[in-house]
Amino acid sequence: MHTLDNGLRVAVEPQPWNPGLSFTILVPVGATSDPEERLGAASMLETWLWKGAGPRGARAFADALDALGVRRQSGAGVEYTTFSASLLPEGFSAALELYADLLMRPHLPDDAFESVRALALQELAALEDQPPRKLLVRLRREAFASPHGQPVEGERETLERMTPEALRGEYRRRYGAGGSVLAVSGGVDPDEVLRIAEKHLGAWSGDAPSPPAVRLTVPHRFHIEQETEQVQIGLFYKDVPPGHYDFYASRLAVAVLSGGMSSRLFTEVREKRGLVYAVSASPGSVKGFGYLTAYAGTMPERAQATLEVMEEEIERLAQGVTREELDRAKVGVRADLVLSGESSRARAGALARDLFILDRARSLEEVEAEVMDVTLERLNAFLAGRPYRDPWIGSLGTVEVGP
Amino acid sequence: MSVLTFREATLPNGLRVIAEINREAKSTALGYFVRTGSRDELAGEEGVSHFLEHMVFKGTERRSAWDVNREFDEMGAKYNAFTNEELTVFYGAVLPEFAPRLLDLLSDLMRPALREDEFETERKVILEEIALYRDRPHFVLYERAQEAYFGRHPLAKPVLGTTESIEAMTRAQMAAYHARRYVPNNMTLAFAGNLDWDEMLALAERMTRGWTRGAAPRNHPGFTPEPRRLRTPYDKASQAYAVFVAPGHAAAAEERYAARVLADVLGDPDNGRLFWRLVDPGLVETAMAYHHEYEELGTFLVYLQGDPAHEEEVSARVREELQRLEKRGVEAEELERAKLKTATSLVFAGETSLSRLFYLGMGYSYTGRYEALDTVRRWVMHLEPYHLGELLEARPFSRALEYWLVPADHG
Repeated sequence: MHTLDNGLRVAVEPQPWNPGLSFTILVPVGATSDPEERLGAASMLETWLWKGAGPRGARAFADALDALGVRRQSGAGVEYTTFSASLLPEGFSAALELYADLLMRPHLPDDAFESVRALALQELAALEDQPPRKLLVRLRREAFASPHGQPVEGERETLERMTPEALRGEYRRRYGAGGSVLAVSGGVDPDEVLRIAEKHLGAWSGDAPSPPAVRLTVPHRFHIEQETEQVQIGLFYKDVPPGHYDFYASRLAVAVLSGGMSSRLFTEVREKRGLVYAVSASPGSVKGFGYLTAYAGTMPERAQATLEVMEEEIERLAQGVTREELDRAKVGVRADLVLSGESSRARAGALARDLFILDRARSLEEVEAEVMDVTLERLNAFLAGRPYRDPWIGSLGTVEVGP
Repeated sequence: MSVLTFREATLPNGLRVIAEINREAKSTALGYFVRTGSRDELAGEEGVSHFLEHMVFKGTERRSAWDVNREFDEMGAKYNAFTNEELTVFYGAVLPEFAPRLLDLLSDLMRPALREDEFETERKVILEEIALYRDRPHFVLYERAQEAYFGRHPLAKPVLGTTESIEAMTRAQMAAYHARRYVPNNMTLAFAGNLDWDEMLALAERMTRGWTRGAAPRNHPGFTPEPRRLRTPYDKASQAYAVFVAPGHAAAAEERYAARVLADVLGDPDNGRLFWRLVDPGLVETAMAYHHEYEELGTFLVYLQGDPAHEEEVSARVREELQRLEKRGVEAEELERAKLKTATSLVFAGETSLSRLFYLGMGYSYTGRYEALDTVRRWVMHLEPYHLGELLEARPFSRALEYWLVPADHG
């Protein structure tokens, strides 16, 4: 990792065998830094940025990226906005110059503002047609008392009240090199990457506001009444944060719970009882805090039973896991690491997130060594000493699940 | 770039075995590509292909359902299966040291026990899966448009079947379907990544020795699209969803490269013509086009999702763009951009063994030939505007079906 004078952090992981290259630019602009009266600002800004930058209008800008063969993805999330690109190495400098225009010299034109707003409103409305996502957005909102619960999509009122001036103000206040990250992976030379990053992004100024501290509500239940076929069930548990001594133990515990198809949740909820098509638990984290969410979708008459089995299985972790379960969890994590190491896009994304969350980038070898280092005794001591219990519980559908 | 070798063999029982070998790859991917899907189902069998795909993981003579799940996880395998109208695919990726064990497991699974108790449990899972998709309007739209476009053609059948067909399905029906379709001469075993060809081929031969050949016929009735506009209110939709389905080109047709690039020019999600006419001005949230290839025919699909208030305006603009494309064709610059983007995508499709396996297995299942990603790239890079013009001469979009799924209060 290298930090430019303006505070931009750069990480490079060469993949000498790879004929391609991917990069991710992470800017700490997300729902957590949206002011309460401007929820959805980070998301709208990301769309607006693409409406022209530097010497080019929106169309010429898209054409210029296409002319380099750039495959791209971008979007705002809870804590940050990412801009990812995959292309051939010879186009890297020209592509980064275009992204520098986007970040440092966007036009943010008045005449595109209404269409940006219309898109944001449609994105928000589309959430109604995605019951699992709608429930998980609300679950986060119920669990966090701090801005980490704020909806990325914003709210109807805040989107309708947004003005071009206010949104430009958000751009000036929150987009900057300080706190941002550039991560590159693929067939590249690290020195060359640094030289190119310095050339195009070295003059980027500004600092991002520092992330807010995490605060939680008191665990509770909630229900969203909606006419759906399946009832959606979501659980939220506190977990250890990234960087914590027990972090890798917690990751292995989640793998035992929901890693492969021999994992506990899949076996007990789906394979033995046929209660669901989808059931899963996944680890989540924001800077300085870790959590575990579990999800299932099932028909109303089976919702209560599904919730009970899920809660029971998650609490039962406190009694420990077997050696066979730990072995399977470890080999699964190891395979995931090797397979993700084949993809430049996956690596660039992971490096960028590491720099944001941990302030340093972990190599695949380091993660593997840490995972392999967790013994059965250590994992079971962790589970006994810090049991997963007392979750926030939410449901969405035609029946409410309860105690 | 790493050196790739292609190998192929046909076993005495008719099973085709193919491999794209890269001795420097860090993983090995392998899979069975069975030429069977919803289009091969007889009356009363609707959904059996997909239900059987689930049952394949529920145990064999040698293994219980638990054994199967446990063994995959002991290898740390990244694995799954999918079913569509024409293919059922079982695949996995592992570290190279586990490849023989994964082959043993997947091969054994191709001869499932179909135990009665597992059948009943899994029936419930399938019914949940059908319920899950009813909560997703874009999927409902796709299924209904497919049915409307294909009419009496077997490609009209829903892959998941229906609640009724799944509730009525018997184990005997599934066993009969399996015996008819999972015959070795109707299957391809494909490998990609780091592997020892001789070892794998010998193991495959040993594992599949008892499999016997069968006919596995497939109907290819004639088909003529019937252009029209349909519209259905759906009580679980709050946004409007639409597709335009137009005649395209088959999976083995030479025109497929030009057809894919033509779809990109029209509906690339970042910079296609529809993006600038519809998404940029904020009329819809999503506008995309792609080319979908089947065995004897193909379709162009335009997909739209957005505010129901704009339905008429959106419909008119899409039809205008389709007409303009048919009348004036594509410009050289936009073709160059679309070609370059496709070429880059192919480089990234080659990064992982699993992604290579899909290209290899799907391509071979349809064409019976190996097509390296680099060969595809060459075909694409040599396209000229007249290649796309030739496809447009048949005026495919004038024969499009337009299907809207709208919120109930817009019905």
